[in-house]
Amino acid sequence: MTMDANAKVLERYNAKVFKNRKDHMLQVNHAEEQQISANTRSVPGIMTNRGCCYAGCKGVVLGPIKDMVLITHGPVGCGFYSWGTRRNKARAEGDDPNFIQYCFTTDMQESDIVFGGVKKLKQAIAEVMQLMQPKTIMIAATCPVGLIGDDIQSVATEAEQEYGIRCVAYSCEGYKGVSQSAGHHIANNGLMKRVIGTGDIEPATKYSVNILGEYNIGGDGWEQERILKKIGYEVLSVFTGDGAIERIASSHKANLNLVQCHRSINYIAEMMKTKYGVDWLKVNFIGLEGTVESLRHMAAYFGDPALIQRTEEVIAEELGEISDAMAACKARLQGKTAALFVGGSRSHHYQGLLKDIGISTVLAGYEFGHRDDYEGREVIPTIKDDADSKNIESITVEKDEKKYHAYLSQEQYEKLAATIPLEQYSGMIRDMDNGSYVVDDLNMYEADTFVELLKPDMFFSGIKDKYALQKAGALSRQLHCYDYSGPYAGFRGAVRFAQDVCMGYFTPAWHMVLPPWKTSATLQGTVGE
Amino acid sequence: MGANLVNLNANPCKMCMPMGAVSAFYGIGMSMSILHGSQGCSTYIRRHMATHYNEPVDIASASLTEEGTVFGGAKNLMKGLENLLSLYHPKVIGIATTCLAETIGEDIDGIIRDFQEKHPDVTATFIPVSSPGYGGSQYEGFFRALHAIVRYVPMDTQSHEMINVITGHLSAADTRALKSLLDASGLDYVLLPDLSQNLDGIHSENYKRLPQHGTPLERISRMAGARMTLELAPLCPEEYSPGAYLRDTYGVPLLRLNLPVGLEDTDMFIATLESLGAIIPASVFEERGRHVDAMIDAHKYNAQCRAAIFGEPDITLGLTRACCENGVVPVVVATGSRCPALKESLGVTVAQAAEVQFCDGFDILDFADFTAIENALLARGANLMIGNSDGRRIEEHHHVPLLRYGFPIHDRVGGQRTRVLLYDGSLSLMESTANAMLQKTEETFREELHGKYYFLTEEAGKASSHGLEKAASVVSGGTMPEETSVPLSAAERTRTHPCFSCGACATSARLHLPVAPECNLSCNYCVRKYSCPNESRPGVTTAVLNPEQALERFLAVRQDMPNLTVVGIAGPGDSLANAEMTFRTLERIRQEDDNITFCMSTNGLALPEYVADMKRVGVSHATVTINAVDPVIGSQIYRYADYRGHRYHGETAAALLLANQLAGLRALTQAGIICKVNTVLLKGINEEHIPTVVATVRDLGAEMTNIMQLIPVKGSAFEHMPLVSNKELTDMRKRCEPTLKQMYHCHQCRADAVGLLNDDRSIEYRLPEITPIAAQEKSAPIARRIRIAVASKTGVTVDQHFGQADQFYIYESNGHDASFVETRSVSRYCKGMDDCGSKSGRMEGILCAVEDCAGVLALRIGDSPLHKLQKKGIRVFTQYERVEKAVNDAAKALCG
Repeated sequence: MTMDANAKVLERYNAKVFKNRKDHMLQVNHAEEQQISANTRSVPGIMTNRGCCYAGCKGVVLGPIKDMVLITHGPVGCGFYSWGTRRNKARAEGDDPNFIQYCFTTDMQESDIVFGGVKKLKQAIAEVMQLMQPKTIMIAATCPVGLIGDDIQSVATEAEQEYGIRCVAYSCEGYKGVSQSAGHHIANNGLMKRVIGTGDIEPATKYSVNILGEYNIGGDGWEQERILKKIGYEVLSVFTGDGAIERIASSHKANLNLVQCHRSINYIAEMMKTKYGVDWLKVNFIGLEGTVESLRHMAAYFGDPALIQRTEEVIAEELGEISDAMAACKARLQGKTAALFVGGSRSHHYQGLLKDIGISTVLAGYEFGHRDDYEGREVIPTIKDDADSKNIESITVEKDEKKYHAYLSQEQYEKLAATIPLEQYSGMIRDMDNGSYVVDDLNMYEADTFVELLKPDMFFSGIKDKYALQKAGALSRQLHCYDYSGPYAGFRGAVRFAQDVCMGYFTPAWHMVLPPWKTSATLQGTVGE
Repeated sequence: MGANLVNLNANPCKMCMPMGAVSAFYGIGMSMSILHGSQGCSTYIRRHMATHYNEPVDIASASLTEEGTVFGGAKNLMKGLENLLSLYHPKVIGIATTCLAETIGEDIDGIIRDFQEKHPDVTATFIPVSSPGYGGSQYEGFFRALHAIVRYVPMDTQSHEMINVITGHLSAADTRALKSLLDASGLDYVLLPDLSQNLDGIHSENYKRLPQHGTPLERISRMAGARMTLELAPLCPEEYSPGAYLRDTYGVPLLRLNLPVGLEDTDMFIATLESLGAIIPASVFEERGRHVDAMIDAHKYNAQCRAAIFGEPDITLGLTRACCENGVVPVVVATGSRCPALKESLGVTVAQAAEVQFCDGFDILDFADFTAIENALLARGANLMIGNSDGRRIEEHHHVPLLRYGFPIHDRVGGQRTRVLLYDGSLSLMESTANAMLQKTEETFREELHGKYYFLTEEAGKASSHGLEKAASVVSGGTMPEETSVPLSAAERTRTHPCFSCGACATSARLHLPVAPECNLSCNYCVRKYSCPNESRPGVTTAVLNPEQALERFLAVRQDMPNLTVVGIAGPGDSLANAEMTFRTLERIRQEDDNITFCMSTNGLALPEYVADMKRVGVSHATVTINAVDPVIGSQIYRYADYRGHRYHGETAAALLLANQLAGLRALTQAGIICKVNTVLLKGINEEHIPTVVATVRDLGAEMTNIMQLIPVKGSAFEHMPLVSNKELTDMRKRCEPTLKQMYHCHQCRADAVGLLNDDRSIEYRLPEITPIAAQEKSAPIARRIRIAVASKTGVTVDQHFGQADQFYIYESNGHDASFVETRSVSRYCKGMDDCGSKSGRMEGILCAVEDCAGVLALRIGDSPLHKLQKKGIRVFTQYERVEKAVNDAAKALCG
């Protein structure tokens, strides 16, 4: 390798920050065993892209559930800022309510901080009951709640008794953990303890699955469901895009869990296996190869020859429908380079889809990923718990004798586990090219510098860096909310994505700007060996 | 709902203080800000600002974790400042606190001191802002930051000729417009803040993370020596007004002006500049002239506009005043911030605008959420919204178009470039409202003209000559105004409503249409046997009508009674438990008569959902029965409530009912519907509570209460409840009179009552009775004739209260044919004229008059005479019926 962009980026840091940040970056070299530092505290003042625990719990995992009322217990900002911002789509089922457009908050005032906010929360619940009569209420805590000691758990218990509803409180104060990731875990625990296993929707077929870690942003979940139903699967529940409480509550009755975003939901997958015997399979419906492979793995899991045949038919049919459009885009985009910086799994998933249209990835990083997301699930036992992760409750579950049902025998399971990713996911590094860069918790300064050094043609990240990137002359697409577009998943989503990238890259505006680094190189050298 | 939800903010119309604080720092040159709190605060705020401005927004975070909450966040903030300085080299650093920092009580000044001691070489100016999210909205945060800036920036007090211009959060384009006017005027000025370029940048070859534009620190430091401060933030409290600080600390005179939106306020601003020596370019006055010309050209369209305006206080004030100038009626004006001054500042202006356009009422709300705004705008019939893009959910749901102004605008591009300031900005606002009306007209006018004028006229012509007259009168109106006739005002309707105006009860007739059989509430004083024809009390009717029959009855009654002023829906169940029937009936009648007053009574359980419908069909008066405002008391009065498919019992039912009653009542009064509240006086249950009920409903805007006696209905749970004497009732009404106007003339009428309050003629309009033939044949005459006394005003129907009868009609009957014997004047039976005047003496007389009868028929009877009659072995039948039939029925009953 002739160039080390990491070194260049680290140059400007003082000793302390240098020491911290250097472990969060690496240049891929498959000849070595590479380790990265992840899921540790961000450096203050460095303009991290990360959010907080509340954002992970309420904003990501619980927010998309459509038929419950979620009350943000706290001052107005937190509720407001997480109001519909992830573009999770949801449709009401029949006469069931859909609260996805609402934002409920206790809007705590100074006096509530001084005298405690429990009374206000109780009354807010009473008002929600008058207004909406939801069957489920969830309460999400914000920073001050934990600090002033509001006992939201007992408020929830009282509300359950008083109104005969399900009420679950989440102590997901913003300061917990080091990023949104702590909030995912807290949300997983709450769903596991209080929701999953309580429902009684019976699956109609044996090919019943749940999709875990699919938040239906831009309709991604709907495209996945479309394909699965076409093949003959029954999607019992989705966690949690377009999610419904009763379905999530009955999800333990499904025969297989499909795990899409493992970062945010692997806790539930793991616990459901222990408690109810539901196996989980890592899937990736982003990109054609990922989608096709995932469908074949599913068919292999159920092992029914008719299902396997139907899967192949659907794959052939779907690929046939889109191949011309994909080829047209690929012809234009072939050879372009991309950088990816998204939350926990997308930076990995989208590399496949980019490859489908001829784009290679030169830089990728996670905002709040853990080491296993970079290096593979097998490294989990080697990850040392630090103080921040120890603060997040980790629950253990036991086998539920009455509800336990394993679809495969132990022998079948072991045989299959050798060929399909059961309870397993690989790390992102393994799938990246030698010489490309991996950076954890990329901040603004680093993003600017990497763009100058690596000159990617496009950068896939979020709204906070979007406009700086565009000023630097790089196409930016938001992979958190898809810039009002989507779906990008599955077969039809792939075309949509490819067309969006084409449209963006070839828009006439780029001819009218010329960023300085496109003409004068700031660093000599070439990427790769 | 909404307005009364004091504990729940459903769809907030505001953000938190740190948002405002960091926005203000974007208007300061070479500055960056750091939020002392969890990472989420920075991330969320950056995300929201970037989406609005389409610009990079960099706000650092001290990234506090759980450790920081225990040991304090000083270490993190120090590190954060170090990194911010070494990576971006800002000259100014705003340090805004968050909920977290304020709750754990961080000493920011102390941390800054420590930092400066540790880093003596650092020259940057640190400006701490106390901005806990729970302390106010982004509006307060913005001004608190400006206040902190003038407090913490080292000031040069030497006086000079500059003026200070301070504004709240304006759009970048408006700020630029303001600047170019000031530049052209020749005045030297400091504009604080100026985010016009930092948050609306140009595409340049060298993009720098550190904001290069904005008010430079050096200019800010000269604000203390300025000759005048103009603060364009009339609603900013003195406590954190930067202008007030400069005045109080450095003696800089302060002039607070409205934002220059609209003609009047822009004139004021320009005149002020001129008085300070500004030379205003001729082109500005040209723009003014153009604005006036365009206003006249567009007045017709703006006059149709009923706007709901929401946003931060100062800009909401400006938009509202400009709209009023343009002839738009702002029927709802709201801010999510706490700002009682908004109402004080705008009340008169909006009232005048409303009056000019015959618009009944408007709401000015502060501390409002979008649920409150939604309810108010539906109730007020707004046809346009002006405000930030969070109104989009209402736009989508109710198809009320939204003109996007203010912050944030997330679903359109160009939010940073909206214009409302100065003559040209005002002109574009004025044209936007007019064009919104035009767009709607363009899309709908063919259908509307055909449907409203041509088609209806044709139909009416076919139906009756009356229709022709109506059509003719429209034509002869000559000028063809938008509305064919000016509808009566609510006050005029009240004057002719027999229940709401005591004066009208003797002259104006009302018609209760029994179209609402179902009830959603089980009251302990009620038995729902509405088919009983012989009683006269609420909840009773002989037949339930469908909307078509109801229309027929209306037409018949109108024919007979020219003094008919009111059509009411009063049951026999609850009008809103049968909403479809109720509203269909009223709609049908409205098609026939656009002047008749509509009145509805309800228990209020379903009220919040239907206020908009009531307003739509033109209900101007409503009666809500509220017996308690305490669920514990309510639970003794109601057995259960059926609400949205669930049956609630006990206190839950009472609490649910109460919440909906209060929210509904508020929404009704806000919608300009005149409300009366009925309360049944229940001994031992709510008698001590009634004054509280009256005070509560007064606060929600009820016009009067009607405290009523309990009618102990057989078979009801309260059958044996002690009766309330007239005296007790009057005492209670007198007690409540100082709180709220009382109704003294209630007749507790039937659900199918017709005519004057004291002269029910519903019998004349009953549907033909279907009597089973077998029953007729079976009933044999009774051997002996029974003597019966009848309390009746006319001798035709049993229609008088026993105690009020001046004479009795004496009949005899064998159960088949009743024969009239004589009339007995009560006065003859008094012991003497003096005696007859007194109440007890009169009652004695009445009792003597009927002593020889086996039965007494009266509309109603008090408890005490009832017992006295029963003691004498005389049976009492209370009912409302034709005399002959009533006498025969009674005779049959008396003989078994």
